[in-house]
Amino acid sequence: MSVQTQLTKGKITLKGSAQIVTEFFMYGINSILFQRGIYPLEDFEVKKKYGLDIWVSNDQQVTKYLKTIMESVEEWLAAGKINKLVLAVNSRETRETLERWQFDVQLVDEAAGTDGPAAAAAAASERPPKSEKTLRMEIQAIFRQIAASVSFLPIIEEKCTFNILVYADSDAEVPTTWTDSDPLHVKNAEQVRLRSFSTDAHRVEAMVAYRRDPDLC
Amino acid sequence: MLENQAKASPAPAKALAWAPKDERLARPPPPRSSSRAAVAAPSDSAVVGLRAAAPPSPRGKKAKPAAQYDRFIPSRGAMDMASSQFNIARADAETPLDGAAAAYQEEIARACGVSLNKRILTFREEAPTSERDDLRQVYSRPALKSSASTGAKRRILNTPERVLDAPGLVDDYYLNLLDWSAGNMLAIGLDQSVYLWNASTGDVDSLCQLEGESYIASVKWTADGSYLAIGTSEGDVQIWDAETQSKIRSMAGHQARVGVMSWQQHILSSGCLDGSIWNHDVRVANHKTAELVAHSNEVCGLAWRSDGALLASGGNDNLLNIWDARSTVPKFSKTQHTAAVRALAWSPWKLDLLASGGGAYDRHVHFWNTTTTARLNSIDTGSQVTSIQWSIEYRELVTSHGFPHNHLALWSYPSLAKIVDIPAHDKRVLHTAMSPDGQTIATAASDESLKFWRIFEARTKTAKAGKAGAAAASASVPTPAGAVATLDISRPSSIR
Repeated sequence: MSVQTQLTKGKITLKGSAQIVTEFFMYGINSILFQRGIYPLEDFEVKKKYGLDIWVSNDQQVTKYLKTIMESVEEWLAAGKINKLVLAVNSRETRETLERWQFDVQLVDEAAGTDGPAAAAAAASERPPKSEKTLRMEIQAIFRQIAASVSFLPIIEEKCTFNILVYADSDAEVPTTWTDSDPLHVKNAEQVRLRSFSTDAHRVEAMVAYRRDPDLC
Repeated sequence: MLENQAKASPAPAKALAWAPKDERLARPPPPRSSSRAAVAAPSDSAVVGLRAAAPPSPRGKKAKPAAQYDRFIPSRGAMDMASSQFNIARADAETPLDGAAAAYQEEIARACGVSLNKRILTFREEAPTSERDDLRQVYSRPALKSSASTGAKRRILNTPERVLDAPGLVDDYYLNLLDWSAGNMLAIGLDQSVYLWNASTGDVDSLCQLEGESYIASVKWTADGSYLAIGTSEGDVQIWDAETQSKIRSMAGHQARVGVMSWQQHILSSGCLDGSIWNHDVRVANHKTAELVAHSNEVCGLAWRSDGALLASGGNDNLLNIWDARSTVPKFSKTQHTAAVRALAWSPWKLDLLASGGGAYDRHVHFWNTTTTARLNSIDTGSQVTSIQWSIEYRELVTSHGFPHNHLALWSYPSLAKIVDIPAHDKRVLHTAMSPDGQTIATAASDESLKFWRIFEARTKTAKAGKAGAAAASASVPTPAGAVATLDISRPSSIR
């Protein structure tokens, strides 16, 4: 893959990093859809990725839908216009948000940019390029955490659907297929911060917010 | 303003409530006498009497009307017409924020968690919904009490109750040659003839014989069992009276064979090899009332819903069409099957539940909710599905199969668990029909035999002893017809 050759050559370019992050989102969203039972289990098949077995939807409509979304997301990532991707799980009947998986995306140069552009450039050049192995281990860790999160996330009894939200800069180019929306926060939320990973250009942090079970409080 | 009003107030006929107290105190107590005088007199004097030392305002000089009320006349001199006009015009315009205001807004925005230069975007299209039941919910439901475990154990024998000969049965998947009437008469089309077998007495009658090259393509009893419709390979649809065994009418028009028919009161729908479905009103001379064309290949499955609102049709083009009774365009079409859809059956207990079975390449039975058009469930049966019969008494259905296993399968609904497999015939089980009491299924296969299976034995049957497992003739079995020997299987078993 071209991304891998880029890795061995040196630092990943912004575009390559955007591709990695988009792929991560694609598999991550599929994994969450499987774990939370948004679609029936028989609609999923196992794919090997990141050294793990990940359950990916084999329903044509779902794959097409996600692909279209991810195309836009990849463009925005490459342009650096996106800073959050949110997967909101809503109940089909009440339209209430039950769970919210939030992935914060930061450009790595930006994070270090507070020191001053000169310092950032120096820091960037000093940092060794992220090895493919480390990246894969980090992503693996997140997937394992998503799977493990089933233990503390409340069971979803009702039929659900999902929405993907993108927090973008106001100057991002938005195709007509996207529209403005509310943030779809969960009421009475418990938040759990998950692990993060970073390529050389992007840093992705994951977090899940879920409804606090009223009985347990 | 108030001061002005007070000062402008006319003669003190009534003590003005809003007048400043000091002024009132200054006045002599109700100076009615003076007021009367003042009424006639110009207001000046009265006004002057009231006020201590107020500058004469233009109002005071005006003549007061006889009625004692106040008039507020704005001071035109104090008005600035130009600026007020401007403000009204600009009412809608946003006030541009100056530096301090902008910084304040930003602070507020940050405090509220709203970012000013970020947008939250979502994809317009909604995520695709899955119509199928989540298997976890299906499996985790408390196990339904299977009908076999309640009360007396139900026996489903692997052997038929009765076997009859059916010589000359045409081995064609697309024909529908067997039907059991409400009057307990079984009609079977054998090549060019239709035979009626009386299930109560065991008598066999030949109803009709076709001429020439044509053969019987389909038979269908009316709901009450008084008339039998016969579809021929020539495209003829004949209506016969079973009692008198005479032909009532012959409805021509179809260009090719009529392989399947379905009654809905006085309407007979006939499905043709050319893919068209005709609705005939059998009471009128001009019998063709509608033509429903949505299949590109032979129509092999046709079933009216019991309330007559919907008609389900399946074709050799793998389509399942649901028609509203009032229209000639399908209400909806399903393409899930990958082979001919011949087996169609509406559930007797749930009005909008339809089961459809696919042919040799498909082998699936799909369950549909015809109101929401959703596919509720599916079974992969493993063999070509030739027909489906729902049980009236139990929440079960029996499917008959051809290639490769040639068996009957009994399924429970909605758990879709297979209750039993009955190896029915040596060759494809082509046709099935259910007895009017709902207990027995008759199957006709291309091995030219007609077998009877007591699958849905009634739960409340007390005198089971005689009926169950009636493979052996029993002299003590009383029958409505009287003679025991007629039910005896040892009777020469060919229909002739």
